[in-house]
Amino acid sequence: MSFLDWATGLHGYLFVGTILATLGIIAVVYRRNSIGVLLGIELLLNAASINFISFSKFRTAAIDGQIFALFIIIIAAAEAAVALAIILRLYRLRETIDAGEANLMRN
Amino acid sequence: MSETAKIILVLFQLLTIASALLVTFSPNILYASISLLFAFLGVAIMFLYAGADFLAGVQVIVYIGGVTILVLFAIMLTSWMYQVKLRDSRAKLIVPLLLALFGLLPFLYQGAQHLASRVLRTVPPDFEAFAFSPKTNAVGEALLGNYLLPFEGITVLLLGALVGAVWLARPK
Repeated sequence: MSFLDWATGLHGYLFVGTILATLGIIAVVYRRNSIGVLLGIELLLNAASINFISFSKFRTAAIDGQIFALFIIIIAAAEAAVALAIILRLYRLRETIDAGEANLMRN
Repeated sequence: MSETAKIILVLFQLLTIASALLVTFSPNILYASISLLFAFLGVAIMFLYAGADFLAGVQVIVYIGGVTILVLFAIMLTSWMYQVKLRDSRAKLIVPLLLALFGLLPFLYQGAQHLASRVLRTVPPDFEAFAFSPKTNAVGEALLGNYLLPFEGITVLLLGALVGAVWLARPK
């Protein structure tokens, strides 16, 4: 099996998903900037979508995996809106968006 | 698929991985979010090749047109672009990087590749035809048929997120 067949088949799709998930975890753990943490979460959700889509093609050849990926995209959009509202609120209260400074649940 | 189509897909996969590396490791949050845009674009092209043409369009519209612009607005509203205080220090990267490279990545990689090899033994015969047929009609019928209850649930979730975001970002 040549490299092109490997990369465009199920193995290649899952490999890209693995890399995206690992990088997302690293970003969530390492970033001090709250927006950076949010970017890591978006990478994680994209990795999950890639896995759903690839199994939808290579395992079932049916539409169900795509519906789950659609729900993931919708939830990611809602999550991004709420997270950015929280970050703006944190900036207004603390004058910073450092994730280490957000140590109170109330203001 | 022809060889040219495969090479184009591999190029976009490489673009996705390179952009994701920049998203994680770029010290400047503005560059990180701009490269997140290219990562989303690469994922959209991967969707297109896997037979999810409707999903590829939704990915471009929602992520590239919506989420990335929202993140850029948040960055502009909360910090000066080159503020040193908000840059992430390299020294704190070592422990998460080692944990991810030697604790997480090998297990994820082995598990995913093993699963792929097992799945490919019972591959459906018509998956190439599935990948190159239009999907919008089927997605619409599935959303209003088998998946009607999750669809209604997600509309309530979106309404709640909208109201919650507006309430959180209210002036004092």
